[in-house]
Amino acid sequence: MLESQMIYQIVDSLEEMNSKLNRVIELLECNGSHSVEDKAFFSETETLDVIKLLSLPDHLRRTATTLFEIGPATADEIARKTSKERAVESNYLNQLVRMKHVKKYREGRKVYFCTNESIKSSNSNCNIAFK
Amino acid sequence: MTITVAIHSSKGGTGKTSIAVNLAVAFASEGLDTCLIDMDLRGPSLCTIFKQTPRFWINDFLSGKCTINDTLNDMKKKVKSSGHLYLSYSNPDITQIRELVGKDRAWQASALKALMNVKKDLAQKDIDIIMIDTSPGMEYESINAVAASDIVLVVQNDTDACNYCTEQLINGVYSLLDKKYAIIDNMCHFNCLENIENSRYGAAIIASIPCMCDVPMRSKKEILVLTDPEHQFSKSILRIKHWIEKMQ
Repeated sequence: MLESQMIYQIVDSLEEMNSKLNRVIELLECNGSHSVEDKAFFSETETLDVIKLLSLPDHLRRTATTLFEIGPATADEIARKTSKERAVESNYLNQLVRMKHVKKYREGRKVYFCTNESIKSSNSNCNIAFK
Repeated sequence: MTITVAIHSSKGGTGKTSIAVNLAVAFASEGLDTCLIDMDLRGPSLCTIFKQTPRFWINDFLSGKCTINDTLNDMKKKVKSSGHLYLSYSNPDITQIRELVGKDRAWQASALKALMNVKKDLAQKDIDIIMIDTSPGMEYESINAVAASDIVLVVQNDTDACNYCTEQLINGVYSLLDKKYAIIDNMCHFNCLENIENSRYGAAIIASIPCMCDVPMRSKKEILVLTDPEHQFSKSILRIKHWIEKMQ
């Protein structure tokens, strides 16, 4: 095997190990090391699962499903996926926030929206915002 | 572009798994890289059909214990297909099934998020088709699979109960989640050649497969689409495959 090929293989293996270690760290964080603010958020946010998605009004369901798929995301990012106006999506997202299905937070000048699943699964940005 | 197809039904025993396995093999045989995921977590059968015990199960992935890649088992050599055929098995151990039944809504929501990410992960692996074999009815896992799919194929038998529940699923789940969907009539007892319907409940009927006793018998030992492509069941599978290709 060529030396360059071996190096590529080693880099691939290291990247895979790194991704697995990140997963382990995320799992450990989910198992009880959330900050007080995170815990407060989990307790005051209703779990947005597929049955809850089905029970939402039509105009909110697509927004919530898209947020589930790509979240955390800005209203602009959601609007690009749903092909609606940014202002419309912003309105729908804020309705979901009031219904306690979604949380919003600011990062710099941008306002992000996320479901509690986005926090628990893989995104660190949302965690940072609450700490 | 990666496309995700869920094989669902309103009742059990409609032949979902046979159709899913044969469809996946048909796609792989034509050179498409295919992944078949057993999401029938309460009644797993894929590992029994392919007689494999993997290192990681789809259950492990949904619980965040491994990546989706860890659960994939390439059967390309075994089925001698030109494309890859990756299988992700569900754990048939009763303790695992018992554990699943006790999972709460938060776990199911997290499992949905994980399933939605599967498509992104497998697209990076250049998988062309992801097929998801689901459990029947309104189980959390099956509706999660439907929500994470682009197309839903609902397999049904010709009974009033099955018809009624299929209509409920179409109006109360698939339509609400903006899914493309179609019906497969399986194990029909009427003369298919004379009574073919084009649509039912607003869904296209893309195949009407007659009831043939040799299909379940032979499926224990062989994959019909491979061993007997001229069989009426295999021809129906190819018809379904063409319909999915047109949807792409």
